[in-house]
Amino acid sequence: MTLSKMNASMSLSRRRRARKAFRAESTYHATGVAIALFFLAPFAITLLASFRHGTEARLPPLPPWPASGISLDSYRSLDTFGAGVWQHTFNSLLVSLATVALTVAVSVLAGYGFSRYRFPLKNVLFVLIIATLMIPFQSILTPLFIILARLGLNNSLFGLTLVYVTLQLPFSVFMMRNAFDAVPKEIEEAARIDGARDLKLLFRVLMPLVLPGIATVAIFAFLNAWNEFLAALVLLSSNEKYTLPVLMMAVRAGRLGAVNWGAVQAGVAVMTLPCLVVFLLLQRYYMRGLMAGAVK
Amino acid sequence: MNETGVVLTDIRKSFGSLEVIHGIDLRIAEGSFVVFVGPSGCGKSTLLRMIAGLEEVTDGEIEIKGRNVTDLDPSDRGIAMVFQSYALYPHMSVRENLAFGLKMARTETAEIDARVKAASAILKIDHLLERRPGQLSGGQRQRVAIGRAIVRKPDVFLFDEPLSNLDAELRVSMRIEIARLHRELGNTMIYVTHDQTEAMTLADKIVVLRDGRIEQAGTPREVYENPANIFVAGFIGSPRMNLLDAVWLGNGCVRVAGSEMSVPVAGEGLRSGEKVTFGARPEHLFVTDGGEGRIPAKVDFAEYLGGTQYLYCQLADGQPLIAEYRSGPEINAGSTIALSVDDNQRRLFAADGRRLT
Repeated sequence: MTLSKMNASMSLSRRRRARKAFRAESTYHATGVAIALFFLAPFAITLLASFRHGTEARLPPLPPWPASGISLDSYRSLDTFGAGVWQHTFNSLLVSLATVALTVAVSVLAGYGFSRYRFPLKNVLFVLIIATLMIPFQSILTPLFIILARLGLNNSLFGLTLVYVTLQLPFSVFMMRNAFDAVPKEIEEAARIDGARDLKLLFRVLMPLVLPGIATVAIFAFLNAWNEFLAALVLLSSNEKYTLPVLMMAVRAGRLGAVNWGAVQAGVAVMTLPCLVVFLLLQRYYMRGLMAGAVK
Repeated sequence: MNETGVVLTDIRKSFGSLEVIHGIDLRIAEGSFVVFVGPSGCGKSTLLRMIAGLEEVTDGEIEIKGRNVTDLDPSDRGIAMVFQSYALYPHMSVRENLAFGLKMARTETAEIDARVKAASAILKIDHLLERRPGQLSGGQRQRVAIGRAIVRKPDVFLFDEPLSNLDAELRVSMRIEIARLHRELGNTMIYVTHDQTEAMTLADKIVVLRDGRIEQAGTPREVYENPANIFVAGFIGSPRMNLLDAVWLGNGCVRVAGSEMSVPVAGEGLRSGEKVTFGARPEHLFVTDGGEGRIPAKVDFAEYLGGTQYLYCQLADGQPLIAEYRSGPEINAGSTIALSVDDNQRRLFAADGRRLT
């Protein structure tokens, strides 16, 4: 084979390889885009449909975008239900954020205690907490209602928050215990030698290390509190206290037998948005492996 | 050097009903480098952690620089510790790692900066100050861990097997670095290891532990040349000292594997015919011609190490023995040799393990 021929065949094989790599890469990205579209489509369709004109909203949902211009009719009519959509959104946000705050606070302390301290009946208590996960919460709704009534907390958002926190804690404590267990003991000991004790140790040294666990607990607490319907329906009795899922029930039930589908779409959009925001805010902690490089 | 570095008085430690440290008394001179060695589970790490205050003392007293610290918090004892796993704070930069203890002690910012600067200069990590531990190599992480100890300006440095996670080459260079550090800083250092080379090269004083008791404490030379008992004799040195079954014949004579040999031992209280253990290190055995007081041996296996050669032998009565062979014609497996033992290096141990003099 002559030199030029060899060169030619080499560049040919190189070109072939480049073409193959290009094809593999485009397949990879095309698949990714297709999957992303598949997941984003429901959100897009809901959001677009919520901007249709009032009359158009009653028609079959094809095409899935507003055909006769964008309008806020649906949101306006959603606002006519209950005590107004702002009030209910505020209620839901209040309950959900308070649930997150309380759940994180209690489960971090409990997880730390269960992970690091030795005390009598520790394992029995832990199993007991985990065991409550097996009790379907619908079955204790009546006792919960009675307890809240006795405490004077029925029909109060604070009472509802306490119920949500209670339901959220077993999983959260379990999660946080695991998170603390994963932190090497030596780091804690080094901090003790450096003079960090108790709460300072917890906040300055350990908390940043269990952040992924906290993010997970927070996301779950928020989503569950935000979406919860049954307890909110049973435990709240006055119109202006209702959370968004209860409002949505009323919207979906319609008035005088007529369902305002535009308002339903608008309500779904309002309910989806905060969940997306919370997840997008916390997902990077959710994924991050902070422990890398701490100990060998 | 004076005697007020660290004083341990009758230190005991129990986990539940199980006592693991059985009353340890030890005086560590200020400015000295003390190494705790022993097999795993001997309590050396537990003892170190008790000095650090990470493990509660069941009974006894710990004094550092004349101050009783037995019940003080780790941060109030004037100690700093370097862990085997480095235990750096992964979410902080190197600078923050070094400064954390000082911040906790509410040291002034200017002072913190000065100390961090000084420590990082000593350890040559000044260019890494803004990195996170995750971005450092093993050796660099260990430097940062040592730096974190230095900035505290402790009375006593505690090292818990600090080099075990490093590869062999790095271990040697860090070992030299630690020795240099000790010379520069002059603090008392207590170092736990199971690596004999580290113990022998670093220590002013070696403390050999077994099952929660001190078997012997002394300079590396003392421990190596005059082991207090069979355990220390067998533990210190690599390859270990040859320990052979022997019979006391009286008059400073023993019989080892059929050969009679004199030993520099008075043998008070020993009855003729009593069983004893004869000890000799591989480097004190010489290959010679046969004759009086020579031990015949068959070479099973010869290990060539370049500068020296280890001969794994079997004696007439089947006991194994290792001899070091430095020069002379090559000796191969299967050949029969005669060994003599350096007159001054013959050791004798009683049946209960203690060394006879």
